[in-house]
Amino acid sequence: MAWNKVAVVGAALIKFGELFEQSYEHMAAGAFQAACGAVDKGFDPAQVEAAFVATQRGTLWGQEGIAGNTVPSAIGLAGIPCTRIENACPSGSDAFRVGAMAVASGVHDVVLVIGVEKMRDKSTEEGLLSRAAGGHPIFTRGETAPVLFAPFATRHMHEFGTTREMLASVAVKNHYNGARDPYAHFRNEITIDDVIKSPPVCTPLHLLDCCPQTDGAAATILVSAERAAEFTDNPVFVAGFGVATDHPYLHEKSTFTSLTATVAAAERAYTMAGIGPSDIDCAEVHDCFTITEILDIEDLGFVEKGKGGVASLDGETSLTGRIPVNTSGGLLAKGHPIGATGVAQITECWWQLRGEAGERQVTTKNGFALQHNVGGRGSGVSVVNILTTNR
Amino acid sequence: MLRLPAAAVAAAWGRGGGRGQTSVCAHDEDVLTLSAEAAGRALAAAGLEAGAIDGLWWGTSRPPFAEGPSHAILAAAIGLEPNSGGALLAGSPHAGMEALLAATDAIAAGSARTAIVVAADAVRPGIGTGFEARSGAGAAAYVLTASDAGANATAEDGALIGARVTRTHPYLDRYRGDGEVATRDIYDARLFREEIFLPPVLEIGEHLAALEPRVWSLPDPDGRLGGIAATKLGARGAVASDVVSQAVGDTGAAAALLGAIAGLDAAGTVAVVATGGGRTTGITLVADAAVPGAATLHHLLAQGAETSYPEVLRSRTELVPVGESVPMGVPPESAMFVRGATEMLSLLAGRCTECGTLNTTPSIHPMCLSCGGTKFDVVPLARRGVVHTFVVNRTMPAPFVAPLGIAVIDLDDGARIMLQVVGDGSDLEIDKPVELVLRRYAHERGVPVYGLKARRLPDPPEDPDTSDPTTRPKTPRPTTQEQ
Repeated sequence: MAWNKVAVVGAALIKFGELFEQSYEHMAAGAFQAACGAVDKGFDPAQVEAAFVATQRGTLWGQEGIAGNTVPSAIGLAGIPCTRIENACPSGSDAFRVGAMAVASGVHDVVLVIGVEKMRDKSTEEGLLSRAAGGHPIFTRGETAPVLFAPFATRHMHEFGTTREMLASVAVKNHYNGARDPYAHFRNEITIDDVIKSPPVCTPLHLLDCCPQTDGAAATILVSAERAAEFTDNPVFVAGFGVATDHPYLHEKSTFTSLTATVAAAERAYTMAGIGPSDIDCAEVHDCFTITEILDIEDLGFVEKGKGGVASLDGETSLTGRIPVNTSGGLLAKGHPIGATGVAQITECWWQLRGEAGERQVTTKNGFALQHNVGGRGSGVSVVNILTTNR
Repeated sequence: MLRLPAAAVAAAWGRGGGRGQTSVCAHDEDVLTLSAEAAGRALAAAGLEAGAIDGLWWGTSRPPFAEGPSHAILAAAIGLEPNSGGALLAGSPHAGMEALLAATDAIAAGSARTAIVVAADAVRPGIGTGFEARSGAGAAAYVLTASDAGANATAEDGALIGARVTRTHPYLDRYRGDGEVATRDIYDARLFREEIFLPPVLEIGEHLAALEPRVWSLPDPDGRLGGIAATKLGARGAVASDVVSQAVGDTGAAAALLGAIAGLDAAGTVAVVATGGGRTTGITLVADAAVPGAATLHHLLAQGAETSYPEVLRSRTELVPVGESVPMGVPPESAMFVRGATEMLSLLAGRCTECGTLNTTPSIHPMCLSCGGTKFDVVPLARRGVVHTFVVNRTMPAPFVAPLGIAVIDLDDGARIMLQVVGDGSDLEIDKPVELVLRRYAHERGVPVYGLKARRLPDPPEDPDTSDPTTRPKTPRPTTQEQ
């Protein structure tokens, strides 16, 4: 597979949260400006040759559905080629992959990947909860977002003895990390008891097992590795990526203890990078719910199938653990502005590999960081990107 | 179904007392779902497949559409063939009896060999009216066949319709004006008793009494008049329908045939009187032995969780939260429902002719999930299975009612399906058996949307209805009912 090496020379996000005071356009511009400012040797916005915008729903089905032509204008780049990428919860990570391919193919040398999502311009009822009435009138009726993951928790608990304490330990760890991330939506630490005693949302998941609704934006600047030295002496490279799909409806799932799209996407990414799970120093994975992270760390190969709950409770995925996961606070604490999420995860990996993660910094002895999203109806799509400092 | 104590209604209106209880619909039940469930039980008791039925005769005062495909939806839900016939009889509590007579006439005329009759109702009283604590819901289904139906037919197989007699008087009793939602209560109790109810019921009853029935099914619109009629007819102590009306109240168009089932669990003649809408009809059902299915009645009457008055008001959409409710993604009149209506009501799958995989449903699977094949046999899925995994959703916008259980079910034929569950989900457990029953998923723009839901079965499962594979139909074959 012949492809030109790609370098990430700038990455940034805006402070995530309920950004009632900021428009979609303001968030996009904020992330873009921050990414430009993050380029070590300076970056002239006019150097951007093309952009890929990840927005999953656009103010939950509003105007930004046509973000491919609204975002360039909002960030002062009207005229450039720009395309909106929508691929469910992995929209941001898939936009990064597509941006990387645009550079790897040799068509462009400098590409902007930007993810923006306005989650809080609509009420919860009219926004996320309204999906309970969408889709198939029978098979998916009542299917709010937690319904897509809670059945996996029920089955994982049944088959492997995973406990609510084990689920809760994921939220506790990610809030601990989020408290150390200035960009996180929630910066408070919580206890296992807090999670278990929080209100039930979709049994067996409770409120603190679920990520919040968050506004946010993040951006990265990709260049061909040949030209990386123009921008930085400390580049991070794209080592590999993988995408996979699965059947969308839950009644079509073959298993409720694994997200098979993740397994396939990871296998493709590891193969492309020429490494295995044990080579990864740290990972940003999709923890929209606590059970999701437990499934992820098993499906990505960090722990044995069925041991994700025990590993989490034992601290194997903490900042000082064997394989630190979601050092940024993850979706649970940092937030999940859908289109921005993957790009923000890339940013955390970029900081970790460059040694710029502050008090969240982990040891990166192998020089590999993994970023992962899974989503869609019934976790029907997953994207894995692997970054490296190895030349 | 749920049971509403009369005392709960009385207390809500600041009155003391209140005797007995009624059967009421849960929020996802209506006349059509009750009818589908009763029909399924009757077919099982008769040992017949739905494909053997020539027509559906359905009597109810409250078809789910004032004008629309009520009959067609029920026929599809029961699994009748597209060329099946029958009729929807409505307009009064007499409609259930009219359905039985119409089906009998169709068989006598030779236009049908085997018919299913469903008498169903969910009486909706005016809120706060005196008969609110008596208004019930239920359904009775009878399978009828021509009396010369094959050499295998024996006297033990069913009951024969004997006498029939009707009187009409153009008087108002309980009625519902055009565009009105609730049925109006009796205008004057004394007038109703002396001039409207007792004269035709007693006149018809005396005709039937001459045939020396073993037991009776008598109308009892207020919890007292049935007893008065029985006394005057010398039938006190022989009113089989009392056990039904005490358990479920006045079930309107279902009452006469539902009450009759209570008398069909042994040999003998059952005298059945139906009245309403200015018409009164009496028939006899002559059984040489217990009719299959009738014996399950007592078990069914004992079921039903007790509910509260506010929950009943909420189920009847008389207690609704302010604010907008979330509309369905596609309107019920749209193309998706044209493509998917039959396959969802009948729960059809496409079985891949290459690899045998069951693809659910055919309209969303042009190519096989497993092998990519494009040729399918359309088959109905099993209606029983076990829970593979589940959730209980507790955060729902209107019009949803939380807690809402949703289960992934492994059906007995190997297919996997995800459906909502009946009830609040508190009885869900992995590996436990469930059955699929028709329920109303939504009511939008005046359109009820029906689909199957999973209901927990006892563990281990018991199925008295199908325990006797030797049953064969005869004439008529009253069977099950209220659930």
